[in-house]
Amino acid sequence: IPVPGLPSLAGISRVPGDHSPSLCILADSREISSGPQVISCLRAVHGLRVQVCSLGTSDYIVSNRLAVDRVFQSELQSPGNRNKLSQRLQRLQGVFERICVVVETDRVRPGVTSRSSQRTQYYDGVLAALVQAGIRILFSSCQEQTAALLKELALLEHRKDAAIQVPTEPEGHRRDLLSFYLSIPNLSYGAALNLCHSFGSITAVANSSGAALAAGARLSRPQAEQLHRFLCHDFDPQLLPQPLPAKDK
Amino acid sequence: VTAGSIVVPYGHVIGNEKWRGSEIAQRLQGKVRLIFEDGLGLVDFHLSNRTCILLISEADLVAGDEFKRRLVRFRNGSSLRGIVIVEKTQISDQYYLGVQKLVVLELGMVLLPVANQGEASQLIIQLVREQSRAGGANPFVHRQRAGPAEPAVLQAVLHIPGVGRTKALLLLQRFGSIRRLCNAPVSELEHVVGQTVAQQIYTF
Repeated sequence: IPVPGLPSLAGISRVPGDHSPSLCILADSREISSGPQVISCLRAVHGLRVQVCSLGTSDYIVSNRLAVDRVFQSELQSPGNRNKLSQRLQRLQGVFERICVVVETDRVRPGVTSRSSQRTQYYDGVLAALVQAGIRILFSSCQEQTAALLKELALLEHRKDAAIQVPTEPEGHRRDLLSFYLSIPNLSYGAALNLCHSFGSITAVANSSGAALAAGARLSRPQAEQLHRFLCHDFDPQLLPQPLPAKDK
Repeated sequence: VTAGSIVVPYGHVIGNEKWRGSEIAQRLQGKVRLIFEDGLGLVDFHLSNRTCILLISEADLVAGDEFKRRLVRFRNGSSLRGIVIVEKTQISDQYYLGVQKLVVLELGMVLLPVANQGEASQLIIQLVREQSRAGGANPFVHRQRAGPAEPAVLQAVLHIPGVGRTKALLLLQRFGSIRRLCNAPVSELEHVVGQTVAQQIYTF
């Protein structure tokens, strides 16, 4: 149950079992060019720790289970983007328990009068489909607001004890381990970090039960079972597609 | 608080009596089958047995906090999925962030902004269409695809230092799964790959 009226970051340290001084958000490296204001605002205004890494899947990872994608309103309005968007969000749903889309108003260049954008049936249809799919939608009018929303989401997830609590920059041997874990399908960057941190070696991970994996990697049970199956999967070279790897449509 | 079991016939929308004759009702009529009912309480429209809509007008936003009490009462008193549609105009824009924080982040409901009642009716029509569509047609619902895991397993093994494609295939043929590969002693690894690489794999 969320506790209303816990607005400041100062309130965080009062939560028992907390070791990190500030909230952490993982940002995809592409966001450096497409959302520089978001990242600098998160750091400078809100005092969050932002770790830029190559996430690939989503724009931001806010907690162990929540991924946030930033889309422009124009992307939702043009039918040409439909396939790209739905593929992206479907993939995210395979990896994360919760997904949030921040719909950001497109920037209008000064001096250019904005086209009177008629709200289309198509746009309403997309919103309805997102709602029906259980994807959370937030609306933002600029990058600064998006940053504020990300902070709110991170705070909320922290209160629900799902915040990212592990060091986000593994060193030395751990970096190799991380890249190994990242190659496992449907495993999020956050879960891979948790695996690095909670288990001493791959052998320890491979010999763990589904329940132990769920606890150690902070994964949901079905996801942990999926990981468990993957590690125990009996390799059959006959099933290897030739030529490698044929993407299904 | 009435937010109880309302049975909505397929393809129908049940509207609160207070919307009879309004612009939004007029625009809905003809597109969806609209039935008016008294005593819906806090709810403005029922889309299905499980989903309903609460409308917040520009005037509600400007008038103060009454609409917040209404939302909280709805949230506490009902197990229905509530979609809140809010009129976001030039005047009410300043309140939007606060409303969004309350509705989406604190109450965990859905919030969709529209510019006027006309847009609201368009949106409701699309929501009804989406509700009555078969689940498989939604482009954003994840479907599990169970392709063979072999390529992925091979990719993962390739991330072990010192292991390329040839060695990865040999290792997997010998040991079968990543789990058994992990538990293999150095001596057995040496049967497949050279001493140095076997040691490398073992330490990894």
